[in-house]
Amino acid sequence: MIPELGHITLIAYLVLCLVGGILPLAAIFFNKAALEMPIKRVTSLLFSLITFSFLILIYSFLVDDFSVAYVAQNSNINLPFYFKFAATWGAHEGSLILWILAMNAWLISFIFLTKCKNTDFLNTVFSISCQVMFAFTLFTLLTSNPFERILPIPPLNGADLNPSLQDIAFTIHPPLLYFGYSGLLIPFAIAVAAMLFNTDTKEWASYSRPWTLLSCSFLTLGIALGSWWAYYELGWGGWWFWDPVENAAFVPWLLSVALFHSLITSQSKGVFGKWSILLSILAFSTSLLGTFLVRSGILTSVHAFALDPERGLFILGILAFFIVGSLIIYSIKDLNQDNSGTYELNSKEFGFLLNNLLLVILAISILFGTIFPLIYEAITDGKQISVGAPYFEIILFPFALALGLLQGIALYLSWGSSSSFSFIQRVFLESISVFGLILLILYILFDNLYLTSFITIFLACWIAAGTLQVSKKRNINYWSFLKKRLAVTFAHVGMAILVLGVGVVSSYSLEKELILAPGDSFEFGDQIVSFESVEDTLGPNYFSKSANISFKDTQNDTNVITEKRTYVPSGQLTTEAGIIMEPFQDLYISMGDNLEADIWSFKVQIKPFIRWIWLGALLIAIGSMLAGIKQIRRA
Amino acid sequence: MNPIRKQRLYALVAILIGSLLATWLVISALSENMNLFYSPTEIKVAELNEDTLIRAGGMVKTGSIIKDTNSLNVVFTVTDYQNDLEINYEGILPDLFAENAGVVVRGNLNTDGSFKAIEVLAKHDENYMPPEVAKLMQEDS
Repeated sequence: MIPELGHITLIAYLVLCLVGGILPLAAIFFNKAALEMPIKRVTSLLFSLITFSFLILIYSFLVDDFSVAYVAQNSNINLPFYFKFAATWGAHEGSLILWILAMNAWLISFIFLTKCKNTDFLNTVFSISCQVMFAFTLFTLLTSNPFERILPIPPLNGADLNPSLQDIAFTIHPPLLYFGYSGLLIPFAIAVAAMLFNTDTKEWASYSRPWTLLSCSFLTLGIALGSWWAYYELGWGGWWFWDPVENAAFVPWLLSVALFHSLITSQSKGVFGKWSILLSILAFSTSLLGTFLVRSGILTSVHAFALDPERGLFILGILAFFIVGSLIIYSIKDLNQDNSGTYELNSKEFGFLLNNLLLVILAISILFGTIFPLIYEAITDGKQISVGAPYFEIILFPFALALGLLQGIALYLSWGSSSSFSFIQRVFLESISVFGLILLILYILFDNLYLTSFITIFLACWIAAGTLQVSKKRNINYWSFLKKRLAVTFAHVGMAILVLGVGVVSSYSLEKELILAPGDSFEFGDQIVSFESVEDTLGPNYFSKSANISFKDTQNDTNVITEKRTYVPSGQLTTEAGIIMEPFQDLYISMGDNLEADIWSFKVQIKPFIRWIWLGALLIAIGSMLAGIKQIRRA
Repeated sequence: MNPIRKQRLYALVAILIGSLLATWLVISALSENMNLFYSPTEIKVAELNEDTLIRAGGMVKTGSIIKDTNSLNVVFTVTDYQNDLEINYEGILPDLFAENAGVVVRGNLNTDGSFKAIEVLAKHDENYMPPEVAKLMQEDS
């Protein structure tokens, strides 16, 4: 009976979303006060319903209720309880519920925390959000109901959670990512409301900015965790694959970054109003498009869920409805958004304009490469192609270069126009400090230098120096100056660290595949690697071969274990990499095939500065989170 | 010039340069990094140049995997149930690579008609099959 309770709650939620999606709008446009809803209470009720439904699903997992088809497909009696818990969002159906829950969490936070006092505006944001949540809930109930039962004879045991998902990073990566994606709902709903009421640019931008920053922060964390998980769990040592699904998260990330920068200008100067509206629509649409690409299985991807064209069509329908709907409003409404503020080429406004231009063109080019196989298949009548990682690297490099150069001088710019004397003086100061930093890093690093790595190291130093610049006013203490701009300092320094990590790891990594018997050792970089022994071990729901490896250099002698696991009952193999983490490099080894007796193949890698990539992403997330919280308090 | 117009001009020029650069980049990068997918049957028919990088795939034939014991060389056969294709690969195979499972390889043809793979991709979980391979199987049945 209990799963039905969750099912019924979900249906009640659907109905309430429908009512919430229609009534408040009707009240405004037909001027009938009687139709108004107490939106704070309704939002709370909605939130309780979806939370309850989600808790029931978690409960079904925890008590091993295999009569629920979704539980039977994604859990198993022997699965440790924390993975049973996480298995709730381990596949398509459950993750949809989590997604809806996340949207509702954003809505409730917005309704209760925003400083917006305009009731009509708030009611509209509420209604638009309800419409989106209604569409997702309808989709869940019609095509992907997680509460569906296998009756009358339920299986005795479940099929198990995909072994590569049985991992701590996986338990938090999807929720963070879904919170990031779904957070873009709020800027979208605000943009639609701003169009309907022709709200003053400065006003609506101030409502939208904190939520854009917060969802960008969650997206950053979600993507970074996914990258980290792929790095150590898949056993390949890669951290980014340009997989369609990674791109599907990267594109909304780029657009959300563009959006909150554009919103800064809109809020402070009242310019770029229409552009910010368009960007809000675009960011939300690409996050929906990402869902479509993942869930319909139309692209070759390591992430693809089981194929189901019907689901794809349904999401495409939702996507079309909201994109076309909002774009129609955009084109027919006579928007009075862009007002008179003027600016010069060396102004902050123009800096933001360039930033947005570069980010958006980059996002579109990546999106194009991602969906190009589909276009190609359609125009050539079924010929299949894939677009390789080099395409994306060729595209990314010049844009990242231009963005980085801009980022290094961006903080010197003033609104309207910048006084060129102090501007040039400070850029000159910056250049000197940059070359000092480069020399330092090269000293830590190595003997040989590649052009691309030099450029990325230069860029990292350039961004860092531009962020930690000296204060404009001499009489202000440097630390209090930095403290005042804590958020931007965190985020921009984070970007510098990320760029440095990417630049170094892509040029200076070492990699080797070879065959070893116990007792063998070999030289690798500045390390001596020895395969000491291999033994059988037993886990809660797997058995494995674990190899003991030692890495020895002039100072340290560290041992590490790499495993080849066989999961019961699926029989699926996974590789657990052995990783020694150091501040400046990772020593990485993963077990390959068993050739005979105790002889195994191994893949050994040295990854310098790889940790800096995730550290940088973490700082970016902290920075945008701080900025978002500050904006909520201030607005 | 009136400041607003000047402003529009700046923006327009920036957009123009940006999109031209992007279009040029996209076209040149795409023409070099587009890998066509072939089934074993299509490879038989198509007259492919030996150094063209392509993708091929199908099901790994039961009993066809031969691993060398003192090097990382491995030979296996993929099939679309009409024709077979022999694949040579040097390196560690992914964990999900198995007999009778879908696989996609990237590489080029050897002179003897076999395929030299530089990358082997296996399916991600039991329910999932690379779309190219899934399509092949559908066409068969």
